[in-house]
Amino acid sequence: MNRLNSAQPSQRSPHSPLTRRIALLRPLRTVPRPLLAGISLLLLAQALLPAATAVAMGQLVGRAERLTGDGVLGGLLWPLAAFTVLLLAAHLLESFIEPLEWLLKARIVGAHRAALLRRAVSVPTIGALEQPRTQQLVQAASADPENWTERTPADGAAAQLRFISAACGFVASSAVLAAFAWWAVPVILLPVVALRIRFVGRFTELIRQWLTRADRAQQGGVWAEAMTSPSTGKDVRTFGLAEWMLVEQRRHLLGMFEPLWRRTVHASWENIGHGMVVLGCLLAVFVPAAASGADGTQSAAVATAVLSAGWSLVSLVDYADGRDVAGASAAIEATEELEKLLPVPDDAAALPAGRVPRQGTKMPDGPLHVRFEGVSFRYPGTERTVLDGLDLEIRPGELLAVVGLNGAGKSTLIKLLSGLYEPTGGRLTANGTDLADLTPDAWRRRISVVFQDFVRYELSAADNVTLGQAAVPREETALEAAARDAGLTAVLERLPHGWDTPLARSRTDGVDLSGGQWQQVVLARALYAVHTGSRLLVLDEPTAHLDVRTEFDVFDRLARARGDDTSVVLISHRLSTVRQADRIVLLDGGRITESGTHDELIARQGAYAEMFAIQAERFRRGHEDRIEEGEYGIA
Amino acid sequence: MRSTALNQDETGKKGAVPVRRTLALWGELFALSWRRIPAATAATLSVLLLGVPATTGIALSLRTAVDGITTGDHDAAVLGTVCAACAYAATRTLNHIGRSLMIMSTEKIGLTDIHEGIHRDIATLEGLEHLERTDYLDRVTTVRTSAWAIVASMWSAIAIFTDVLQLVVLLLLLGTVSPWLLLLLPAAALPLWANARGQRLVNAAETDTAEYHRVQRHLFKLGTRAATGKEIRVAGAGEEIVRRQSAAFGVVVDGRYRARMRAAWLRAAGWTVFTLGFGGGLALVGHRTAQGLGTPGDLVLTITVAAALRQSVQQAVTRAAGAIDAMRLIGPYLWLRSYAADQRARTTGTAPSPDALREGITFTNVSYVYPGTERRALDGISVTLPAGAVIAVVGEFGSGKTTLVKLLSKFYRPDEGRITVDGTDLTELDTDAWRARTSAAYQDFGRFHTVFAQTVGLGDLPHIDDRERIAEAVLAADAESLVARLPDGLDTQLGRELGGVDLSEGQWQKTALARASMRREPLLFVLDEPTASLDAPSEQAIFQRYMDRARTLATRTGAVTVIVSHRFSTVSGADLILVLDKGRLTEHGTHEELLALGGRYADLYGIQATAYAAS
Repeated sequence: MNRLNSAQPSQRSPHSPLTRRIALLRPLRTVPRPLLAGISLLLLAQALLPAATAVAMGQLVGRAERLTGDGVLGGLLWPLAAFTVLLLAAHLLESFIEPLEWLLKARIVGAHRAALLRRAVSVPTIGALEQPRTQQLVQAASADPENWTERTPADGAAAQLRFISAACGFVASSAVLAAFAWWAVPVILLPVVALRIRFVGRFTELIRQWLTRADRAQQGGVWAEAMTSPSTGKDVRTFGLAEWMLVEQRRHLLGMFEPLWRRTVHASWENIGHGMVVLGCLLAVFVPAAASGADGTQSAAVATAVLSAGWSLVSLVDYADGRDVAGASAAIEATEELEKLLPVPDDAAALPAGRVPRQGTKMPDGPLHVRFEGVSFRYPGTERTVLDGLDLEIRPGELLAVVGLNGAGKSTLIKLLSGLYEPTGGRLTANGTDLADLTPDAWRRRISVVFQDFVRYELSAADNVTLGQAAVPREETALEAAARDAGLTAVLERLPHGWDTPLARSRTDGVDLSGGQWQQVVLARALYAVHTGSRLLVLDEPTAHLDVRTEFDVFDRLARARGDDTSVVLISHRLSTVRQADRIVLLDGGRITESGTHDELIARQGAYAEMFAIQAERFRRGHEDRIEEGEYGIA
Repeated sequence: MRSTALNQDETGKKGAVPVRRTLALWGELFALSWRRIPAATAATLSVLLLGVPATTGIALSLRTAVDGITTGDHDAAVLGTVCAACAYAATRTLNHIGRSLMIMSTEKIGLTDIHEGIHRDIATLEGLEHLERTDYLDRVTTVRTSAWAIVASMWSAIAIFTDVLQLVVLLLLLGTVSPWLLLLLPAAALPLWANARGQRLVNAAETDTAEYHRVQRHLFKLGTRAATGKEIRVAGAGEEIVRRQSAAFGVVVDGRYRARMRAAWLRAAGWTVFTLGFGGGLALVGHRTAQGLGTPGDLVLTITVAAALRQSVQQAVTRAAGAIDAMRLIGPYLWLRSYAADQRARTTGTAPSPDALREGITFTNVSYVYPGTERRALDGISVTLPAGAVIAVVGEFGSGKTTLVKLLSKFYRPDEGRITVDGTDLTELDTDAWRARTSAAYQDFGRFHTVFAQTVGLGDLPHIDDRERIAEAVLAADAESLVARLPDGLDTQLGRELGGVDLSEGQWQKTALARASMRREPLLFVLDEPTASLDAPSEQAIFQRYMDRARTLATRTGAVTVIVSHRFSTVSGADLILVLDKGRLTEHGTHEELLALGGRYADLYGIQATAYAAS
């Protein structure tokens, strides 16, 4: 059953309806008790109102029938007063249930999202997050609905609370009906419940149909996006694509919606049929009740109460919660599956490699000497060995350049170095300590990585820099020094609120930076980490999208700003940049095949010399100066 | 939906549309709906309208039934209950059908006519200003997904009308019991006002906290995505992200809850006052009944109306909230329509494109300032791009390279000076005809997630299914090995979210180059930073092929090939190199001439040249 579940999730719950409903109540544990108790009471009171109203109405009519004609209100004072109070109660309950139920849901969603986020950032390695399956589940479990079929666990929990209170109201209204005749209860109840089951089933089917066609909407969306996106506007105009795209878009959208429209029409007729069934049930109870009231075989009070309670029974059967239950169950199942894919670190037994880091092991300050010792690596679920018995040394304070063609494993090497993956063979050591014996935090405080796809926080400029070393408290002097060294000071001066300016135009007083300015922010982020204790700086193609002059500037600053005790690992395709390094290693076939200074490698006349010669020649012939991915060297 | 109310200040102010224009738009939409989908429109409308007699019918028939019961009138009692049951069942059915019919009617008009109209306006305007100028782009971004909500607001308006109608009918019904009860009509304005006011508080709080809502979503995404997860882990920023996400979420919840609670108090106060008044009315009816002036049925009617009133008021207010929310979209929508009409009226060119270029393309003192900016993106450019030549445009970021290309493709018109094609002003040329004779691979080209063959074939729509031509274009872009590695070759779907494959940046660039190679006889061929993400051998092959192609095109049509680059090293083989600096043409000539000149070109060329100096 479990395997079925993981292969084919959230389509149909494997659980019985009862266990499913209980599972839906579970998120209520995170809600403060007084809030939960308060909202439950209010919902219960609200559900009991129809029965009470029916009784009050019956009493009122009963007394009115026996009026004697004297007195101002006769015997009507009390039932009228009672009725007014009930009416007021209905208004007040409706008014205050709304914000409280909203708060209840918001608290559940908040706790749910925080827990999910904590889980996602707490797993030390990145492998699980890189799985497409995990990303799908995160979306499904995120409690942030993106279309009308998605529901949060909070919606499910609230729907359950309402379901339970409605059931109580049901019993009360049934009791009023039973006062007239016991058989009236099943006559109304059974068909109405049957209709509800059918309706919910139909609705689930509709959601499924909608979801299976959602890819059509996505395909149509490709062209809708293309027609309106600034980056494709030039293509659309130059190639005269607008009308063609409009036709394609319409084709896909109609392909998705036309069956749904037919379904709506069909469902409308069916609803009219349902209405007829309800009418039949009501008549079966109402007519005898009214007749017996008129004939005097039944009191007017009871007959009137039946008219009121019979209807309230019908309207108490809520149809809307079908969607809440289905949507919330999907979210909860996704969450449960995620909990297995992303085990939190203190859940030691579930750690991927099954090892327990020696907690509290510290990396002493000072320069780092890092070694890859026979490191092999293969991505989980794949066959290809990316790194194959790699030996590499990163000496204290050196500027080491790693070059290699695309697919040679440069990015993998960085991921292993920063502990985002664990080697499948061999080990990494820092100053003689196996990285596996360090807590991830202890190691990561000493290393800083500038990834090609660095993070653009929609937070203040200061946050964007200090989040480069978030584990230490913000250090103002380090911040200023990093900005100065990275050339960020000039940018900051032009920001409306300096360090406090959010770096996103969508924020109040926020500003969008250009690509080059972001590069400077990220450089400052890396240098801040160096100023606050990192002794190994890894740069993954840091200047790939910069022009010549800016690239020179960046390297110049970097070379000057880092201290002698900080090692730098530079990954680059541009050999003109790489040649400045203290040492260059060539990564090929998962191993280091050449190592030395630029001059030494040129003298060796190996693969590096060949690559450099090609680039230099290309440059002399006026071509691009980078060597990148692809077939070269394989051919 | 409401949570994504972005840039509320800006679009909010501009989106403040006069009520009259909104009503006119709703009228227009209803007329359109009536014309296009008469059956669905009529059905939706009748379901909405029938709700009024159905609800009223419950109250009336209950009175008859109760009076029949209390007076022992068997027939009246039975007739009344039968009618009551019918009215109950009708209300329920109308409620169930109404919503889905409304959704369907909205979709039928919204997804086709309105959605398409919006996209047509955005995609067919000659210029790019609306996609590149940030304040316009904000509105375009708002409007492009708003078709559904705009049509829905029309139906909301009709539904509000029926809700209010129902409110009035119910209260008039009370008037038939006793004219004194008509006093409740003005009293009902109080809860209505309180509800509406409360809703405004809630909406305002949503807007006020929208920024924090976006921040918490942003942080959640950063923390849960793999690409960003790498840096967050290494920087040890995870805990901080969690803390800030929770804090931002807390701010949102606090602000919104407080507004909702305040709205609840307002509603409660409004209803309390009304209910006390209603209690007085009940006492009056009770008194009349006690005096024998009224019947017990009158009491039941009064009570039934009381229960129905709250539903009507609440429905009207909720729907009004939705309609008010749509006002935010109606502003930008009306703006787009009038902007598109203005722009179309300005389009003048009618002259056909020449078959071949004889002289070339001449810039005479061309300047251009992007609207809303101060700086001249191009400043007094005068130069001739001779027919058949390969022109290189070099310069640093922001020097005006791309602007020059945009003027050539008629995306913008020069503010000063003119561009002539063999003597004809470019603005005089029919835009579609001119563009049909151009081809280009732009820096920010389209990454169309469709099948590979189609993403290439789009470069020449009449030949979109012509496999031979597509294969040729693939060859020209040096993309055969890429196609060979794709699981389904040319038929491979692109984009993982559509079950296809993801391409790397360099591979996408090849699709753009192949697309640009589809047209066989362009007069203008533009390569804007064509090879920035390509590997060296591929780039070399492509560059050679495009040079050859430029020569072939030159002999065939006299085509001008323009290659833009910020790398000075890329283009030394061009016939003419234009060096731009801050919008001005500072140097032009061949590679050798410019090196001999010893200016900026020579300087920047030198930076990289030394990097490769012989060791």
